[in-house]
Parts: sequence; structure tokens; C-alpha cells
Amino acid sequence: MDLGSFQTNSSVSCRLASQIPDVCRTEDCCLGIDEAGRGPVLGPMVYGICFCPISMKEELKALKVADSKTLTEAERENLFEKVDGASSYVGWALQVLSPNTISTSMLQRTKYNLNALSHDTAIGLVQYALDNGVQLKEIFVDTVGPADKYEDKLSKLFPGIDVTVRPKADSLFPVVSAASICAKVARDRIVKGWNFSEDLGDVNPEYGSGYPGDPKTKAWLLKYLDPVFGFPQFVRFSWSTAQTLLDSKGVTVHWDDDEEDGEKAAQRQNNKSMLSYFSAPAGGNNQNPTHQTHRFFTERRLKSLDTL
Amino acid sequence: MSTKKKRAPHLNNDSWVVVAADSAIDTQKPDNDPTFVRLRNPSTDAASLYMLSAGDAQLFEVKAFDEEFHSWFVGQTVQRDGRLLFVTPMDPLYLILPYLIKSGKEGKFQPVDQVLMDEDFPACSRLLSCTRSLSSLRHVAEEKEVANMKFHRYSEEKTMVWLEKKVERTVTALKKRNIYVGEGVKSTTYVRVKSESDHQQEDYLRYAHGLISEYISEDLSKALLRHLQLPELTSPKEAEPPSKKRKLSDKPVEAGEDYTKFNSADFARKPAKKMSAAQKSLAKVDKTGMKTMSSFFSPKVKTEKK
Repeated sequence: MDLGSFQTNSSVSCRLASQIPDVCRTEDCCLGIDEAGRGPVLGPMVYGICFCPISMKEELKALKVADSKTLTEAERENLFEKVDGASSYVGWALQVLSPNTISTSMLQRTKYNLNALSHDTAIGLVQYALDNGVQLKEIFVDTVGPADKYEDKLSKLFPGIDVTVRPKADSLFPVVSAASICAKVARDRIVKGWNFSEDLGDVNPEYGSGYPGDPKTKAWLLKYLDPVFGFPQFVRFSWSTAQTLLDSKGVTVHWDDDEEDGEKAAQRQNNKSMLSYFSAPAGGNNQNPTHQTHRFFTERRLKSLDTL
Repeated sequence: MSTKKKRAPHLNNDSWVVVAADSAIDTQKPDNDPTFVRLRNPSTDAASLYMLSAGDAQLFEVKAFDEEFHSWFVGQTVQRDGRLLFVTPMDPLYLILPYLIKSGKEGKFQPVDQVLMDEDFPACSRLLSCTRSLSSLRHVAEEKEVANMKFHRYSEEKTMVWLEKKVERTVTALKKRNIYVGEGVKSTTYVRVKSESDHQQEDYLRYAHGLISEYISEDLSKALLRHLQLPELTSPKEAEPPSKKRKLSDKPVEAGEDYTKFNSADFARKPAKKMSAAQKSLAKVDKTGMKTMSSFFSPKVKTEKK
């Protein structure tokens, strides 16, 4: 697993993949999808697929791949070596979504939520396998959101392929377990070797699990909060943990798509509140109501000043 | 989510991002810096900010590009005020003109340094130091020279000729820079297939007149409009809403109904219809302080508070 390209630019989404085994191009294959790092406020989310010929399912089972959550880090590393070593019939591919990608997707003007991002990433990986000639017949997915809806969506996108979306799929199907191990190992390695693009000096590596509930993570976030810029790119800004801290410790920043209280926003935009039509008309106290700045200036947002 | 962020008012800050001509900030003498001055804006009659270059040689107006949700990153600092100030050259005659007009009402020739006095804006006398000021007075005033002293008297006739030239020059500049002068809104990203050369000259004249009017009083602006022989526009807001569409026909108009029957003595009002129980109970409701539904839609209520 070569993480070099991601580590030189850790702000983007990047794909890592094994060689496609030749048998996968000729024989009917099954494919498992799983993700690692959905919940943490720190670090990337990694999506993984693993695929092998349906006839080789038992061999994969024999590798004793199991749900990544039940294993220690060392066991996972060990299992990944086994999966990667079985390159004659097992292939894998990963999509690393950097925390920055997650932040910018979720916080952009047209909101792109984590579920949609997850679904699209999974779809992208399946498409990658198909584009490389993998003869897919079965897909097994650990669910994101309601399982039947997700299953429906995937079945429609990939007609002719049998899609099974199931919660806990990573403990039910070995091919999903294998995908989950690949994803988890990649995430662990990335988080460990994170290159901070910000000039932070020696960064304290004690950020705990990265999950919002972890007091170590919270303390770390607080320590690296810059009042103007917020957090390093390692942090998912879109997490409410990060946002709450920014709201209380950071400088207030206003964006033009901020939601504001109706009355105030209307006033700011020079709209008339509905209520104003119902209140008693007050004497207009405008200084010079007749003077209207020429549209040359108003269109260009140019104003005269009376003081600096 | 953070929906209730309070927007504090902009505080005074001590730095600005300014775009200025070299001639505005050029200082040969270190003790003679360009200065910001508050002067009477000829159009609004209120204070506006201007800049005088070193030795008061040149006048500049100060305009701010001011749009919400902007801030600057300047070097290693953040500046909350996201405005961009423009310091652009301006003809000082525009600022001198209101004073000349005021004293011109007395009808006398006066030395211009006595005319340019303002309690509220004492800096206005500095306008006379501008290199253009004295030489350009002849465009708007009659001159008399007695014993090496110059006297001036405002002339509306000359001023109109001068302003007309300004309008013409503005038209040239507008055309050169492809500025859209037609009615209606045009998106900057919208590419027109047809070239805009078919715009009426009147559109350009009216637009240029509007621009010049930003620098002269309202009275002068109206006079200039007449001088340019442009009909005054009535804004659609003030105009009455169009009444119901009338059918066009050549036939003589006849009353559709015979109203004279109401005048006759034997006309009796129909007795009021009997009300249902629900209507009766509604009629008993205390209506004090309530407006009728129709009052919300009639034009009288338009005077809402701003």
C-alpha cells in the first residue's frame, strides 16, 4: 500500500488499488464494500472494496478475515498482509476521503451530506472495478442509512448484479470483512503518519481515538484551535464538535449563506418585513429621500463616504 | 447549527485597503502629505469624504466598494472591513459650483475667495489651491478684472454649456468602455449575440446625465435635463397603477346600465337579507382596532415606516 501520493497532498480525495488478478477478469466475481473512519472528527474516511472470484470464497474464508472492529491493530496489519499476499485471486481498491474533502463537501453552498458522499464513493469504487474488467455478479455492502433504499439505488445503477445491503455485513460476508480490513489499515496508517500542512511546530500526537466523545480528542482540538483559521486540515470542520468549539472560541465569521433570523435578514437585505405593513406608519425620517444614487454606482456597490 | 450569530456593527479601524492614483499619494515634500477632507457633497448637500494631494494641488473623490460578507487578509493580519476604497481624480469645479450659485443669487461680482466660505466645512477654501480651480472658473462664471483683482459672477448659461460638454465626454467614455446603458438589468455573464451599437443615443445621454447628476445639485440636474432636451421620466412607482383594460372600439360609448332609475322616487332599497346564525354571531364581534381586509390592499397604506 503506497500512501505517498496522499501524504504529499492530504487535502484531496485519492484512490489506492492493488493489481487486478487475472482470474477476476474471466470468472464471475463477488465484491464487498466497507468503510473506516465514519464517526471521528479527526482524519480521513476510507472506503474499501475487495473482490475475488465467487469460486474462491472458501479460500478467502480460510484467511480468517473477520470484522475489523474485533481485531487489534497488529492483527489487522497481519490480515492485510495476507489479503494483499493473496494477489493471485483477491483484488482491492481504496478511496481516501481527506477530512478536508469531507469538510468542504458538507459545508459547501449546496450541502452534500455524509451519506450522499459515502454512497457516491462506494459507487465510484464499484465502477472502478467494472471499468477494469472485473466480472462482477454479486455485491455485498455494509449499510449506510436505510438498507433497502440503498440496495434499491445500487441495483438500479448496476443492473445484472446481485446487490445485498445488510447491516453488520462486515461480520457476515468474508469479502466485506476483507474490504473493511483494507480500509481500516489504510486509515490507521494515514492517521499515524499525518503530515500537517500547517506550520504548527511539533504537533502533540496525543489526540486519542479521534472520536468526538473522547476527552483527549477534545483537549487536542482546543489546543490547536486558531481563533481566525480554526483547525488544521486534519480536523473535519463539519462535525458539530468542531463547530461548537469554533462558535465559542473562534472569531465569528459570517458567510452570505448564513441563516439569520427572518426579521433581521430582511432588514439587512433591505426587504420589508411583512409585519411592517401592519404596524402604524411612522413619519419618514430619511435625511434625503429624494436622492437616489445613480445605478452606475449602485450596480458596482460603490458608495460615497462621509468618514473613514 | 450556528443560526443565531450576532452581527456586530463595524468598528472604526485604523487601516484601509485603498486604490489610489500615483499622483494622489506622491509627496515630494515630507511635511506636505495628502489629506482626507470632509467637504459638502454638491449632490446630497451633506458631508462626503474627499482627498487633497500634497499642497492641495489636486482634488480626489473617495468611493468605497462596499458589499456584505467581505474581509481582507493583509500580510499576516485580517482586516474585518472588507471595503475597497478608490481615490480618483475629480474636477474641483463641481465642489466650488454650489458656493458660486449661492452667492450668484445676490447678482454681484465677488472675489472668489470670499465666496468659498463654509462654517460647516472650513476646508472648502483649500479647493482654490487646486491647479485647475482658478483657471476653470470661466466655464461657469463671468469674470471681471479690476486693478489686478478678479471678480466672478455665476452664469447658468455658461454652466449649462460646460455641463453639456461633460455629458458628451461621459458618453464617449461610456461607449469606449462598453458600459451597458439600456433599461433593465443585464447580467455580466450574459453574452449578447447582437452588438449593442444599436442603442439609442438617448440612452447614452440619459445615463451620462444621471452620472453627472451625482456631482451637481438636483435643481441643476433638472435644468441640465431641459438643456439636453431630454424629456423628464416619471418613474413607474409614482405613476398610478394602470386601470382596467379598456376595449378599443370606434363606437360611441354608451352606459351599460340605466343609473337614472336610482334617482326616481319610486326606487326603494331592498331590505337587507336575513343573516344566518353564524353571520350574526360574527357581526357581534368587537371590531375596534381592526382594519378592514381591503385596507391592506388600497394604495393609502403604502406609507410604511422605513
